Amino acid sequence: MAAIVFDNFSYSYDGAAKALDGVDLTVARGSFTVVAGPSGAGKTTLCFAACGVVPHYFGGSMAGRVSVAGVATAGSSMRELAVNVGTVLEDFESQLVTMTVAEEVAFALENRGVGHDRIARRIGEVLAQVGLAGLEDREVGSLSGGQKQRLAIASVLATRPEILVLDEPASALDPEGAEELYALLASLNREYGMTLLVVEHDLARVLAYADNLLVLADGRIACQGRPEEVLPVLARSEELAAMVPPLWQLKFGLEERFETRFAPWRHEGEAIEELGGFIGAGRREDTKSA
Amino acid sequence: MRKTAPLTKIVMVFLVSLWAMLLDSAAALALLTAALVALFALSKAPAASYKALGSLGIFAAGLTAMQFALGAEAEFSAVVGLRMAMMTGLFILLMATTRIQDLTAALVRQLRVPYEYAFMVTASLRFVPDLLAEVKAVQEAQACRGYSNRGSVARRLRNYLTIVQPLVLRSVTRSETMAMSLELRGFGANRAGGYGTSIAFGYRDYLALAALAAGTAMIVAMRFYR
Amino acid sequence: MLEIDNVSYCYKAGQYAVHGVSLTVADGEFVAIAGRNGSGKTTLTRLVMGLLRPTAGTILLDGRATAGTATAAIARQVGYVFQNPDRQIFRDSVAEEAAYGPEQLGFAAAEIRDAVASALEATGLAAMAAAYPRTLSKGQKQRLAIASALALSPRLLILDEPTSGQDAREKAALMELLTGLNTQGTAILLVTHDMELLARYARRAVVMTAGRVVFDGGVRELFAGDTDVGAWGLREPAAARVARGLRDCGVAPGPLVPEELNGEIAVARRELYA
Repeated sequence: MAAIVFDNFSYSYDGAAKALDGVDLTVARGSFTVVAGPSGAGKTTLCFAACGVVPHYFGGSMAGRVSVAGVATAGSSMRELAVNVGTVLEDFESQLVTMTVAEEVAFALENRGVGHDRIARRIGEVLAQVGLAGLEDREVGSLSGGQKQRLAIASVLATRPEILVLDEPASALDPEGAEELYALLASLNREYGMTLLVVEHDLARVLAYADNLLVLADGRIACQGRPEEVLPVLARSEELAAMVPPLWQLKFGLEERFETRFAPWRHEGEAIEELGGFIGAGRREDTKSA
Repeated sequence: MRKTAPLTKIVMVFLVSLWAMLLDSAAALALLTAALVALFALSKAPAASYKALGSLGIFAAGLTAMQFALGAEAEFSAVVGLRMAMMTGLFILLMATTRIQDLTAALVRQLRVPYEYAFMVTASLRFVPDLLAEVKAVQEAQACRGYSNRGSVARRLRNYLTIVQPLVLRSVTRSETMAMSLELRGFGANRAGGYGTSIAFGYRDYLALAALAAGTAMIVAMRFYR
Repeated sequence: MLEIDNVSYCYKAGQYAVHGVSLTVADGEFVAIAGRNGSGKTTLTRLVMGLLRPTAGTILLDGRATAGTATAAIARQVGYVFQNPDRQIFRDSVAEEAAYGPEQLGFAAAEIRDAVASALEATGLAAMAAAYPRTLSKGQKQRLAIASALALSPRLLILDEPTSGQDAREKAALMELLTGLNTQGTAILLVTHDMELLARYARRAVVMTAGRVVFDGGVRELFAGDTDVGAWGLREPAAARVARGLRDCGVAPGPLVPEELNGEIAVARRELYA
């Protein structure tokens, strides 16, 4: 069964301009799906629609349907949907509402009437999972930006959702912080089998992890598929070419120049390995023909 | 004071405030105030609360002096100043020695205040430092564009709008995010609340409550059956 | 035009956010400052604006110490663009918003008009002069923040992470805008985490770690492969990283962007002809 299904879904906040327009989308269970696209393309609205904020919080007008873990979002409340979908909003700092780290993780569990002993155990587990073990009694205000981001993730992981939706989670982090965050998300995806739907502008950050890439433009899906299917399409498009990560700009440039095809590089290491052989082969040919 | 349950401290704030209202001798009130200062010293309250206590002292002295200057008797002036100092000081002591989350838990579970209201108290206190940081950030952004808080009162007020407007808009977006977050985490349903809080009564609470009750009985008796 | 001379700043006694930093920015330079969050980059730029005052050391603008100068006065020489433009936008039209600085500093009406017109022109917002600022896109708001700073015709523009949260096209457009301003003579000091942008657009890079400047030199030198930039919390641009990995195959170190590496790889393949 698919984790998230958008079936010809359209949505408008004010009834006039369409934020999403006829979106068809299937996110498989256990997928690491990355949503990209120019500003104003509807990425945040897509996140909202996956967790029920759209239409429940904003009202507005919609057509088509979204179902999450088999449940139609329009027919159940945000609270019920949250059992299956954990959401980390773009402004994650405002999402944190309690005084201390432990309380923040306990918050959703208390709301669901979980007993104190189980809450205590779960806090330990979840904080260890996101790398915040031992910070239970710290005040939320005293955490660094990266730690707050992890706490926001921990606070939604607490109730064991199977799907995690994150809207631009790395935008306030430095390069190391972003790298660590994506390594954490990858471990949730691989080790715990969670389905991830992540909005990210910088595709270079997610190249190593994403198995499904979704590009939105003007509320519609411009293209989607495996990164190696989508990136060539972006490279050919005038408006979207700037989104191609530098490593793949290199790949496409070389492929054109030498009329060859390289493997879908997921990180620099793979590129170095393949290019090393490629350069060596070129030299050998030269030696032969000389 | 930190080991005393929040409810005991809440009761103390009310009852001792009542004592301060009932007592009309400056000497008795001064004694009570001295006891409060001693409690502060014993409570390992954070340094900031001593500062607050200091300003309170100055304010109370000012109030007394004003009463006196306006023609009140010396004793009465002192009583007014001491009462005010007592009642505010008690509140400062409560806040300085109680974690906000414990206070919320006590309000909800022992005093039966609906959780939503108690949560709003905690949440607003939690956002005060963030709001102050935001004020500073906006002020700095405008200073880099030539904003300065000088000139006539009208000009200063008008200038202040340049700080207030971005701040209000930002706060609105912020509370929107918070509201979404609360709903997404199932807030508002019948919940127990207060994880990690310590509000249970110990022997010192029973002792303190007994002492408070005795004190109240004594003062009421003195006041009405004299 | 900017001289930072042995400047330190402590939040608390003994805790240095900026520690003995010396740095000069000449007229017309394009300098990028990089480093981890908390390394002191932003504190340093705030010290330049007089939003913080140094615990020790002096900051000079055109040879004059800024110690007693108010931020509002420093703004005439140094424009500052914050990461989040929502913290400063408050008026009902783009043009009015840009006019705020000149008004505050008492420019004459004609001067204000000219200053706003040229600032909006420079940032490509001239056609939107009457638009309502709050409804602009993130990238446009950031341009408006730049226009607001430019309206005071500063000779140095400091930008703190101006591209964060923007899409690839907006980023490129913003960097092109800064490059254009730079060619017309405005010095640029760009605080950034984005090494790809730094590699493509800046000529000089300053790296900070734990309040100190650990590198100050050419961008090409920074990524030539001899310094372990990872220890400073930086990530090499993809082209530099791949070039370093291919060193043993005869690829010369130094490429910063894919196009350059593409050429180097071609050279390496045909090396025997060369």
